[in-house]
Amino acid sequence: MSIHTKTAIEAIKRSPFQAVSAIFVLALTFFVATTVAILVYASNKSLSYFETRPQIIAFLKDDAKADGISALQNKLAIDIRIKDVKFVPKEEALAIYKKATEDNPQLAELVSPSIFPASLEFSVTDLKLAEKIIEEVRSEAIVDQVGFTANLGGEKSLGDVVTRLKTISYYLRLGGIVFVGVLAATSFLVLLVIISMRMTSRKGEIEILSLIGATPKFVSSPIVLEGIIYAILGVAIGWTTSFIMWLYVSPSLISYFGEIPILPKSPITYFLLFAIILGTETLVGFTLALVGSLVAVKRSLKKAK
Amino acid sequence: MIKFENVSKSFGSIVALSNVSFEIKEGEFVFLTGPSGAGKTTILKMILREYLPDSGKVYFDKEDITQIKEKDVPLLRQKIGIVFQDFKVLPERTVAENVEVALAVTGVEENEWEKRVDHVLKLVGLSKRANLFPSQLSGGELQRVSLARALVVNPKLILADEPTGNLDWDTAAGIMELLEKINKEGKTIIMATHHQGLIKHSKHRSVELKEGKV
Repeated sequence: MSIHTKTAIEAIKRSPFQAVSAIFVLALTFFVATTVAILVYASNKSLSYFETRPQIIAFLKDDAKADGISALQNKLAIDIRIKDVKFVPKEEALAIYKKATEDNPQLAELVSPSIFPASLEFSVTDLKLAEKIIEEVRSEAIVDQVGFTANLGGEKSLGDVVTRLKTISYYLRLGGIVFVGVLAATSFLVLLVIISMRMTSRKGEIEILSLIGATPKFVSSPIVLEGIIYAILGVAIGWTTSFIMWLYVSPSLISYFGEIPILPKSPITYFLLFAIILGTETLVGFTLALVGSLVAVKRSLKKAK
Repeated sequence: MIKFENVSKSFGSIVALSNVSFEIKEGEFVFLTGPSGAGKTTILKMILREYLPDSGKVYFDKEDITQIKEKDVPLLRQKIGIVFQDFKVLPERTVAENVEVALAVTGVEENEWEKRVDHVLKLVGLSKRANLFPSQLSGGELQRVSLARALVVNPKLILADEPTGNLDWDTAAGIMELLEKINKEGKTIIMATHHQGLIKHSKHRSVELKEGKV
Protein backbone atom coordinates (compact mmCIF):
# COMPACT_ATOMS: atom_id res chain seq x y z
CA MET A 1 0.00 0.00 0.00
CA SER A 2 1.42 3.42 -0.94
CA ILE A 3 2.18 5.99 1.73
CA HIS A 4 -0.61 8.22 0.36
CA THR A 5 -3.24 5.45 0.50
CA LYS A 6 -2.10 4.59 4.02
CA THR A 7 -2.34 8.24 5.09
CA ALA A 8 -5.81 8.59 3.52
CA ILE A 9 -7.11 5.44 5.23
CA GLU A 10 -5.63 6.53 8.58
CA ALA A 11 -7.32 9.93 8.21
CA ILE A 12 -10.67 8.24 7.53
CA LYS A 13 -10.21 6.00 10.59
CA ARG A 14 -9.29 8.97 12.76
CA SER A 15 -12.51 10.88 11.91
CA PRO A 16 -15.11 8.21 11.16
CA PHE A 17 -18.11 10.53 11.58
CA GLN A 18 -16.83 12.97 8.97
CA ALA A 19 -16.21 10.06 6.65
CA VAL A 20 -19.67 8.57 7.26
CA SER A 21 -21.39 11.93 6.59
CA ALA A 22 -19.50 12.42 3.33
CA ILE A 23 -20.22 8.86 2.18
CA PHE A 24 -23.88 9.14 3.24
CA VAL A 25 -24.51 12.37 1.32
CA LEU A 26 -22.74 11.01 -1.76
CA ALA A 27 -24.63 7.71 -1.51
CA LEU A 28 -27.94 9.60 -1.31
CA THR A 29 -26.99 11.67 -4.35
CA PHE A 30 -26.11 8.62 -6.42
CA PHE A 31 -29.16 6.67 -5.20
CA VAL A 32 -31.42 9.49 -6.41
CA ALA A 33 -29.37 9.89 -9.59
CA THR A 34 -29.72 6.18 -10.45
CA THR A 35 -33.44 6.24 -9.67
CA VAL A 36 -34.01 9.39 -11.73
CA ALA A 37 -31.94 7.99 -14.60
CA ILE A 38 -34.16 4.90 -14.72
CA LEU A 39 -37.34 7.00 -14.49
CA VAL A 40 -36.14 9.19 -17.35
CA TYR A 41 -35.28 6.06 -19.34
CA ALA A 42 -38.75 4.62 -18.65
CA SER A 43 -40.51 7.85 -19.61
CA ASN A 44 -38.48 8.09 -22.82
CA LYS A 45 -39.28 4.51 -23.68
CA SER A 46 -43.01 4.91 -23.06
CA LEU A 47 -43.08 8.17 -25.00
CA SER A 48 -41.26 6.51 -27.84
CA TYR A 49 -43.66 3.57 -27.64
CA PHE A 50 -46.69 5.80 -27.97
CA GLU A 51 -45.05 7.97 -30.59
CA THR A 52 -44.08 5.07 -32.78
CA ARG A 53 -46.79 2.55 -32.06
CA PRO A 54 -50.12 4.36 -31.91
CA GLN A 55 -52.73 1.89 -33.12
CA ILE A 56 -55.43 3.24 -35.32
CA ILE A 57 -58.55 1.20 -36.08
CA ALA A 58 -60.60 1.90 -39.15
CA PHE A 59 -64.02 0.28 -38.57
CA LEU A 60 -65.48 -0.83 -41.85
CA LYS A 61 -69.04 -0.45 -42.98
CA ASP A 62 -71.23 -3.57 -42.84
CA ASP A 63 -71.59 -3.60 -46.60
CA ALA A 64 -67.90 -3.36 -47.33
CA LYS A 65 -66.87 -5.92 -49.95
CA ALA A 66 -63.79 -8.12 -49.79
CA ASP A 67 -62.14 -6.54 -52.85
CA GLY A 68 -62.75 -3.02 -51.46
CA ILE A 69 -61.25 -4.07 -48.12
CA SER A 70 -58.28 -5.64 -49.87
CA ALA A 71 -57.72 -2.50 -51.98
CA LEU A 72 -57.75 -0.27 -48.91
CA GLN A 73 -55.45 -2.66 -47.03
CA ASN A 74 -52.97 -2.56 -49.92
CA LYS A 75 -53.20 1.20 -50.16
CA LEU A 76 -52.41 1.54 -46.46
CA ALA A 77 -49.61 -1.04 -46.63
CA ILE A 78 -47.68 0.93 -49.26
CA ASP A 79 -48.06 4.23 -47.44
CA ILE A 80 -44.64 4.99 -45.87
CA ARG A 81 -46.29 6.78 -42.96
CA ILE A 82 -48.11 3.59 -42.01
CA LYS A 83 -46.92 0.23 -40.74
CA ASP A 84 -48.25 -3.11 -39.46
CA VAL A 85 -51.56 -3.08 -41.33
CA LYS A 86 -53.83 -5.89 -40.24
CA PHE A 87 -57.36 -6.90 -41.24
CA VAL A 88 -59.59 -8.01 -38.31
CA PRO A 89 -62.79 -9.76 -39.49
CA LYS A 90 -65.99 -9.72 -37.43
CA GLU A 91 -65.30 -13.22 -35.96
CA GLU A 92 -61.87 -12.20 -34.73
CA ALA A 93 -63.30 -9.00 -33.24
CA LEU A 94 -65.79 -11.15 -31.31
CA ALA A 95 -62.97 -13.45 -30.18
CA ILE A 96 -61.03 -10.43 -28.91
CA TYR A 97 -64.15 -9.24 -27.10
CA LYS A 98 -64.69 -12.68 -25.57
CA LYS A 99 -61.12 -12.82 -24.39
CA ALA A 100 -61.45 -9.38 -22.83
CA THR A 101 -64.64 -10.41 -21.04
CA GLU A 102 -63.68 -13.96 -20.11
CA ASP A 103 -64.22 -13.13 -16.43
CA ASN A 104 -67.92 -12.69 -17.26
CA PRO A 105 -68.96 -15.20 -20.01
CA GLN A 106 -72.57 -14.02 -19.92
CA LEU A 107 -71.52 -10.74 -21.52
CA ALA A 108 -70.09 -12.65 -24.49
CA GLU A 109 -73.18 -14.80 -24.87
CA LEU A 110 -75.37 -11.72 -25.17
CA VAL A 111 -73.66 -10.48 -28.31
CA SER A 112 -73.43 -11.87 -31.84
CA PRO A 113 -70.56 -11.42 -34.33
CA SER A 114 -72.75 -9.12 -36.42
CA ILE A 115 -72.53 -6.25 -33.94
CA PHE A 116 -68.74 -6.14 -34.19
CA PRO A 117 -67.63 -4.46 -37.39
CA ALA A 118 -64.65 -5.75 -39.32
CA SER A 119 -61.71 -3.39 -39.12
CA LEU A 120 -58.29 -2.51 -40.48
CA GLU A 121 -55.77 -1.88 -37.71
CA PHE A 122 -52.48 -0.12 -38.28
CA SER A 123 -49.78 2.01 -36.69
CA VAL A 124 -48.16 5.22 -37.82
CA THR A 125 -44.42 5.80 -37.92
CA ASP A 126 -44.77 9.20 -36.25
CA LEU A 127 -47.59 10.21 -33.95
CA LYS A 128 -47.62 13.71 -35.43
CA LEU A 129 -48.89 12.23 -38.70
CA ALA A 130 -51.73 10.30 -37.06
CA GLU A 131 -54.39 13.00 -37.13
CA LYS A 132 -53.91 13.63 -40.85
CA ILE A 133 -53.94 9.90 -41.64
CA ILE A 134 -57.11 9.42 -39.58
CA GLU A 135 -58.79 12.16 -41.59
CA GLU A 136 -57.70 10.57 -44.86
CA VAL A 137 -58.85 7.09 -43.84
CA ARG A 138 -62.14 8.45 -42.52
CA SER A 139 -62.88 9.80 -46.02
CA GLU A 140 -62.65 6.33 -47.56
CA ALA A 141 -66.03 5.04 -48.80
CA ILE A 142 -65.93 1.69 -46.97
CA VAL A 143 -64.81 3.21 -43.65
CA ASP A 144 -67.49 3.90 -41.08
CA GLN A 145 -65.49 5.29 -38.12
CA VAL A 146 -61.86 5.67 -37.13
CA GLY A 147 -60.62 5.21 -33.58
CA PHE A 148 -57.32 5.73 -31.82
CA THR A 149 -56.59 3.18 -29.14
CA ALA A 150 -53.81 4.89 -27.14
CA ASN A 151 -55.66 6.64 -24.42
CA LEU A 152 -54.27 7.98 -21.18
CA GLY A 153 -56.24 9.62 -18.41
CA GLY A 154 -59.37 9.99 -20.53
CA GLU A 155 -57.87 12.24 -23.21
CA LYS A 156 -60.17 12.53 -26.16
CA SER A 157 -57.81 13.59 -28.89
CA LEU A 158 -54.54 12.31 -30.17
CA GLY A 159 -52.89 15.66 -29.41
CA ASP A 160 -53.87 15.32 -25.75
CA VAL A 161 -52.14 11.95 -25.47
CA VAL A 162 -48.89 13.22 -26.94
CA THR A 163 -48.98 16.45 -24.98
CA ARG A 164 -49.61 14.60 -21.72
CA LEU A 165 -46.78 12.15 -22.31
CA LYS A 166 -44.41 14.90 -23.32
CA THR A 167 -45.35 16.95 -20.25
CA ILE A 168 -44.78 13.98 -17.95
CA SER A 169 -41.44 13.30 -19.61
CA TYR A 170 -40.41 16.98 -19.48
CA TYR A 171 -41.23 17.45 -15.80
CA LEU A 172 -39.60 14.15 -14.91
CA ARG A 173 -36.40 15.21 -16.61
CA LEU A 174 -36.49 18.76 -15.26
CA GLY A 175 -37.39 17.67 -11.72
CA GLY A 176 -34.77 14.94 -11.84
CA ILE A 177 -32.04 17.24 -13.08
CA VAL A 178 -32.87 19.92 -10.48
CA PHE A 179 -33.08 17.38 -7.63
CA VAL A 180 -29.88 15.57 -8.62
CA GLY A 181 -28.19 18.95 -9.22
CA VAL A 182 -29.09 20.17 -5.72
CA LEU A 183 -27.86 16.91 -4.19
CA ALA A 184 -24.65 17.00 -6.24
CA ALA A 185 -24.01 20.58 -5.12
CA THR A 186 -24.62 19.52 -1.50
CA SER A 187 -22.20 16.61 -1.90
CA PHE A 188 -19.62 18.97 -3.39
CA LEU A 189 -19.98 21.39 -0.46
CA VAL A 190 -19.83 18.57 2.10
CA LEU A 191 -16.63 17.31 0.47
CA LEU A 192 -15.20 20.84 0.49
CA VAL A 193 -16.02 21.30 4.19
CA ILE A 194 -14.68 17.90 5.22
CA ILE A 195 -11.49 18.24 3.21
CA SER A 196 -10.93 21.79 4.49
CA MET A 197 -11.34 20.46 8.04
CA ARG A 198 -8.86 17.70 7.22
CA MET A 199 -6.38 20.28 5.92
CA THR A 200 -6.80 22.35 9.11
CA SER A 201 -6.25 19.31 11.32
CA ARG A 202 -3.14 18.40 9.29
CA LYS A 203 -1.74 21.95 9.30
CA GLY A 204 1.27 21.01 11.46
CA GLU A 205 2.03 17.94 9.37
CA ILE A 206 1.74 19.91 6.12
CA GLU A 207 4.17 22.53 7.47
CA ILE A 208 6.72 19.84 8.36
CA LEU A 209 6.31 18.08 5.01
CA SER A 210 6.76 21.35 3.17
CA LEU A 211 9.97 22.10 5.11
CA ILE A 212 11.49 18.74 4.29
CA GLY A 213 10.82 19.29 0.60
CA ALA A 214 7.39 17.85 -0.11
CA THR A 215 5.83 19.15 -3.29
CA PRO A 216 2.23 20.47 -3.19
CA LYS A 217 1.27 17.28 -5.08
CA PHE A 218 2.79 15.10 -2.36
CA VAL A 219 0.96 17.07 0.34
CA SER A 220 -2.40 16.99 -1.44
CA SER A 221 -2.29 13.39 -2.75
CA PRO A 222 -3.64 11.66 0.41
CA ILE A 223 -6.34 14.30 0.77
CA VAL A 224 -7.46 13.99 -2.85
CA LEU A 225 -7.34 10.22 -2.48
CA GLU A 226 -9.56 10.46 0.59
CA GLY A 227 -12.13 12.43 -1.44
CA ILE A 228 -11.99 9.82 -4.19
CA ILE A 229 -12.50 7.00 -1.66
CA TYR A 230 -15.62 8.82 -0.36
CA ALA A 231 -16.94 9.27 -3.90
CA ILE A 232 -16.34 5.64 -4.92
CA LEU A 233 -17.99 4.34 -1.75
CA GLY A 234 -20.86 6.82 -2.23
CA VAL A 235 -21.41 5.67 -5.83
CA ALA A 236 -21.17 2.00 -4.84
CA ILE A 237 -23.67 2.29 -1.98
CA GLY A 238 -26.10 4.64 -3.78
CA TRP A 239 -26.09 2.68 -7.04
CA THR A 240 -26.33 -0.73 -5.34
CA THR A 241 -29.27 0.36 -3.18
CA SER A 242 -31.13 1.74 -6.18
CA PHE A 243 -30.26 -1.32 -8.29
CA ILE A 244 -31.62 -3.70 -5.62
CA MET A 245 -34.77 -1.57 -5.38
CA TRP A 246 -35.31 -1.67 -9.16
CA LEU A 247 -34.57 -5.40 -9.27
CA TYR A 248 -37.30 -5.86 -6.67
CA VAL A 249 -39.96 -3.72 -8.38
CA SER A 250 -39.11 -4.46 -12.02
CA PRO A 251 -41.15 -7.70 -12.41
CA SER A 252 -44.29 -5.96 -11.09
CA LEU A 253 -43.70 -2.86 -13.24
CA ILE A 254 -42.99 -4.84 -16.40
CA SER A 255 -46.10 -6.92 -15.82
CA TYR A 256 -48.24 -3.85 -15.01
CA PHE A 257 -47.18 -1.90 -18.09
CA GLY A 258 -47.46 -4.99 -20.31
CA GLU A 259 -46.59 -4.11 -23.87
CA ILE A 260 -45.16 -0.70 -22.99
CA PRO A 261 -41.42 -1.33 -22.67
CA ILE A 262 -40.69 0.98 -19.73
CA LEU A 263 -37.81 -1.29 -18.65
CA PRO A 264 -35.74 -3.69 -20.72
CA LYS A 265 -37.19 -7.19 -20.64
CA SER A 266 -33.95 -8.88 -21.66
CA PRO A 267 -31.65 -9.42 -18.64
CA ILE A 268 -28.58 -8.48 -20.70
CA THR A 269 -30.05 -5.11 -21.74
CA TYR A 270 -31.31 -4.57 -18.20
CA PHE A 271 -27.87 -5.11 -16.65
CA LEU A 272 -26.22 -3.16 -19.45
CA LEU A 273 -28.47 -0.17 -18.68
CA PHE A 274 -27.45 -0.25 -15.02
CA ALA A 275 -23.80 -0.80 -15.93
CA ILE A 276 -23.87 2.33 -18.10
CA ILE A 277 -25.39 4.29 -15.20
CA LEU A 278 -22.72 2.89 -12.84
CA GLY A 279 -19.94 3.86 -15.25
CA THR A 280 -21.31 7.37 -15.68
CA GLU A 281 -21.80 7.83 -11.94
CA THR A 282 -18.29 6.59 -11.17
CA LEU A 283 -16.92 9.14 -13.62
CA VAL A 284 -19.08 11.93 -12.17
CA GLY A 285 -18.21 10.90 -8.60
CA PHE A 286 -14.52 10.81 -9.41
CA THR A 287 -14.68 14.25 -11.03
CA LEU A 288 -16.73 15.64 -8.13
CA ALA A 289 -14.21 14.32 -5.58
CA LEU A 290 -11.18 15.40 -7.60
CA VAL A 291 -12.44 18.94 -8.21
CA GLY A 292 -13.84 19.28 -4.65
CA SER A 293 -10.65 18.13 -2.96
CA LEU A 294 -8.36 20.10 -5.25
CA VAL A 295 -10.36 23.28 -4.63
CA ALA A 296 -10.26 22.67 -0.85
CA VAL A 297 -6.54 21.84 -0.88
CA LYS A 298 -5.68 24.86 -3.03
CA ARG A 299 -7.68 27.18 -0.78
CA SER A 300 -6.09 25.78 2.38
CA LEU A 301 -2.54 25.92 0.99
CA LYS A 302 -3.14 29.48 -0.18
CA LYS A 303 -4.37 30.44 3.29
CA ALA A 304 -1.37 28.72 4.90
CA LYS A 305 1.01 30.85 2.79
CA MET B 1 28.64 25.73 -0.58
CA ILE B 2 26.66 28.52 1.06
CA LYS B 3 27.33 32.15 0.38
CA PHE B 4 25.46 35.19 1.65
CA GLU B 5 26.24 38.36 -0.28
CA ASN B 6 25.11 41.67 1.21
CA VAL B 7 21.83 40.19 2.40
CA SER B 8 19.32 42.42 4.19
CA LYS B 9 15.92 41.54 5.52
CA SER B 10 13.39 43.54 7.53
CA PHE B 11 10.05 42.62 9.00
CA GLY B 12 8.23 45.94 9.06
CA SER B 13 10.38 48.29 11.17
CA ILE B 14 12.40 45.41 12.65
CA VAL B 15 15.72 44.79 10.91
CA ALA B 16 16.47 41.04 11.00
CA LEU B 17 19.58 41.09 8.81
CA SER B 18 21.59 44.07 7.67
CA ASN B 19 24.03 43.72 4.80
CA VAL B 20 25.16 40.24 5.90
CA SER B 21 27.93 38.49 3.99
CA PHE B 22 29.67 35.22 4.80
CA GLU B 23 30.63 31.96 3.17
CA ILE B 24 30.56 28.34 4.32
CA LYS B 25 32.62 25.74 2.49
CA GLU B 26 31.59 22.17 1.72
CA GLY B 27 32.25 19.82 4.63
CA GLU B 28 32.47 22.61 7.21
CA PHE B 29 30.72 22.63 10.60
CA VAL B 30 29.73 26.20 11.41
CA PHE B 31 27.91 27.62 14.38
CA LEU B 32 25.56 30.57 13.90
CA THR B 33 25.63 32.24 17.25
CA GLY B 34 24.14 35.26 18.87
CA PRO B 35 21.36 36.22 21.26
CA SER B 36 17.68 35.64 20.52
CA GLY B 37 16.49 37.86 17.70
CA ALA B 38 19.98 38.27 16.27
CA GLY B 39 18.91 36.77 12.93
CA LYS B 40 20.12 33.15 13.21
CA THR B 41 16.80 31.57 12.29
CA THR B 42 16.26 34.13 9.52
CA ILE B 43 19.49 32.94 7.90
CA LEU B 44 18.42 29.29 8.09
CA LYS B 45 14.99 30.14 6.69
CA MET B 46 16.62 31.98 3.79
CA ILE B 47 18.71 28.91 2.97
CA LEU B 48 15.46 26.91 2.99
CA ARG B 49 13.83 29.60 0.84
CA GLU B 50 11.15 30.20 3.46
CA TYR B 51 12.13 33.86 3.36
CA LEU B 52 13.44 35.94 0.49
CA PRO B 53 15.89 38.73 1.25
CA ASP B 54 14.90 42.35 0.64
CA SER B 55 18.28 42.75 -1.04
CA GLY B 56 21.40 40.71 -1.64
CA LYS B 57 22.00 37.20 -2.86
CA VAL B 58 22.05 33.75 -1.26
CA TYR B 59 23.99 31.03 -3.04
CA PHE B 60 23.65 27.29 -2.54
CA ASP B 61 26.11 25.27 -4.59
CA LYS B 62 26.87 28.38 -6.64
CA GLU B 63 23.20 28.86 -7.54
CA ASP B 64 21.44 32.04 -6.44
CA ILE B 65 18.46 30.51 -4.63
CA THR B 66 16.68 33.85 -4.37
CA GLN B 67 16.07 33.53 -8.10
CA ILE B 68 14.68 29.99 -8.23
CA LYS B 69 11.03 29.52 -9.09
CA GLU B 70 8.46 28.67 -6.40
CA LYS B 71 7.84 25.25 -7.97
CA ASP B 72 11.55 24.40 -7.61
CA VAL B 73 11.70 25.21 -3.89
CA PRO B 74 10.81 21.61 -2.85
CA LEU B 75 13.76 20.35 -4.94
CA LEU B 76 16.08 22.71 -3.08
CA ARG B 77 14.73 21.58 0.31
CA GLN B 78 15.16 17.93 -0.65
CA LYS B 79 18.92 18.56 -0.79
CA ILE B 80 18.92 19.88 2.76
CA GLY B 81 18.38 17.99 6.01
CA ILE B 82 16.83 20.04 8.76
CA VAL B 83 16.72 19.56 12.52
CA PHE B 84 14.43 21.75 14.61
CA GLN B 85 14.53 22.90 18.22
CA ASP B 86 10.96 21.63 18.73
CA PHE B 87 11.76 18.38 16.80
CA LYS B 88 8.77 18.69 14.42
CA VAL B 89 8.16 14.98 14.23
CA LEU B 90 4.80 13.68 12.99
CA PRO B 91 2.92 12.64 16.15
CA GLU B 92 0.70 10.03 14.50
CA ARG B 93 3.52 8.13 12.86
CA THR B 94 6.03 5.77 14.40
CA VAL B 95 9.75 6.53 14.53
CA ALA B 96 10.38 4.43 11.42
CA GLU B 97 7.44 6.03 9.57
CA ASN B 98 8.69 9.52 10.43
CA VAL B 99 11.96 8.66 8.76
CA GLU B 100 10.22 6.95 5.82
CA VAL B 101 8.25 10.13 5.11
CA ALA B 102 11.48 11.91 4.16
CA LEU B 103 12.29 9.09 1.72
CA ALA B 104 8.79 9.25 0.24
CA VAL B 105 9.07 13.03 -0.16
CA THR B 106 12.34 12.71 -2.09
CA GLY B 107 10.95 9.93 -4.25
CA VAL B 108 13.29 7.15 -3.09
CA GLU B 109 12.10 3.71 -4.28
CA GLU B 110 10.06 1.93 -1.61
CA ASN B 111 12.20 -1.21 -1.73
CA GLU B 112 15.15 0.82 -0.44
CA TRP B 113 13.33 2.28 2.55
CA GLU B 114 13.83 -0.51 5.06
CA LYS B 115 17.58 -0.69 4.53
CA ARG B 116 18.07 3.06 4.73
CA VAL B 117 15.78 3.54 7.72
CA ASP B 118 17.53 0.72 9.61
CA HIS B 119 20.89 2.29 8.83
CA VAL B 120 20.06 5.79 10.12
CA LEU B 121 18.17 4.53 13.16
CA LYS B 122 21.25 2.47 14.07
CA LEU B 123 23.40 5.55 13.54
CA VAL B 124 21.31 7.68 15.94
CA GLY B 125 20.82 4.79 18.36
CA LEU B 126 17.09 4.33 17.92
CA SER B 127 16.94 0.85 16.36
CA LYS B 128 14.98 -0.51 19.29
CA ARG B 129 12.54 2.41 19.23
CA ALA B 130 11.59 2.05 15.53
CA ASN B 131 8.00 1.07 16.18
CA LEU B 132 7.30 3.50 19.01
CA PHE B 133 5.23 6.66 18.60
CA PRO B 134 6.70 10.11 19.42
CA SER B 135 4.55 10.35 22.57
CA GLN B 136 6.49 7.35 23.93
CA LEU B 137 9.91 9.00 23.49
CA SER B 138 12.05 11.39 25.53
CA GLY B 139 13.18 14.83 24.26
CA GLY B 140 16.61 13.52 23.33
CA GLU B 141 15.11 10.59 21.45
CA LEU B 142 12.75 12.91 19.58
CA GLN B 143 15.69 15.01 18.50
CA ARG B 144 17.41 11.84 17.28
CA VAL B 145 14.30 11.02 15.21
CA SER B 146 14.50 14.51 13.71
CA LEU B 147 18.18 13.95 12.97
CA ALA B 148 17.54 10.50 11.47
CA ARG B 149 14.87 12.01 9.21
CA ALA B 150 17.33 14.69 8.10
CA LEU B 151 20.08 12.15 7.43
CA VAL B 152 18.15 9.43 5.66
CA VAL B 153 17.92 11.34 2.39
CA ASN B 154 21.71 11.71 2.37
CA PRO B 155 21.67 15.52 2.12
CA LYS B 156 24.69 17.63 1.26
CA LEU B 157 23.81 20.15 3.94
CA ILE B 158 22.28 19.86 7.38
CA LEU B 159 20.68 22.85 9.06
CA ALA B 160 20.15 22.55 12.79
CA ASP B 161 18.11 25.25 14.45
CA GLU B 162 18.86 25.19 18.18
CA PRO B 163 18.84 21.37 18.18
CA THR B 164 19.91 21.24 21.82
CA GLY B 165 17.68 24.08 22.98
CA ASN B 166 15.11 21.83 24.63
CA LEU B 167 17.54 19.25 25.97
CA ASP B 168 19.54 18.79 29.18
CA TRP B 169 23.33 19.02 29.04
CA ASP B 170 24.04 15.29 28.76
CA THR B 171 21.46 14.76 26.04
CA ALA B 172 22.69 17.88 24.22
CA ALA B 173 26.23 16.53 24.35
CA GLY B 174 24.98 13.26 22.85
CA ILE B 175 23.34 15.12 19.96
CA MET B 176 26.53 17.15 19.44
CA GLU B 177 28.55 13.95 19.28
CA LEU B 178 26.23 12.67 16.60
CA LEU B 179 26.48 15.89 14.59
CA GLU B 180 30.28 15.74 14.85
CA LYS B 181 30.21 12.15 13.61
CA ILE B 182 27.98 13.12 10.68
CA ASN B 183 30.25 16.07 9.84
CA LYS B 184 33.26 13.74 9.78
CA GLU B 185 31.43 11.71 7.15
CA GLY B 186 31.58 14.80 4.93
CA LYS B 187 28.29 16.56 5.52
CA THR B 188 28.21 20.33 5.80
CA ILE B 189 26.49 21.41 9.02
CA ILE B 190 25.18 24.84 9.96
CA MET B 191 23.98 24.92 13.52
CA ALA B 192 22.21 27.90 15.04
CA THR B 193 22.69 28.01 18.80
CA HIS B 194 23.14 30.35 21.72
CA HIS B 195 24.46 27.49 23.87
CA GLN B 196 27.86 28.98 24.81
CA GLY B 197 28.97 25.78 26.52
CA LEU B 198 28.66 23.78 23.32
CA ILE B 199 30.51 26.41 21.30
CA LYS B 200 33.35 26.62 23.80
CA HIS B 201 33.78 22.85 23.80
CA SER B 202 33.95 22.76 20.02
CA LYS B 203 36.79 23.76 17.72
CA HIS B 204 34.48 24.73 14.84
CA ARG B 205 34.11 28.17 13.31
CA SER B 206 31.35 30.48 14.53
CA VAL B 207 29.53 33.15 12.60
CA GLU B 208 28.39 35.52 15.27
CA LEU B 209 25.35 37.66 14.72
CA LYS B 210 24.32 40.73 16.68
CA GLU B 211 21.30 42.85 15.80
CA GLY B 212 21.24 41.45 12.30
CA LYS B 213 24.93 42.01 11.55
CA VAL B 214 27.85 39.57 11.34
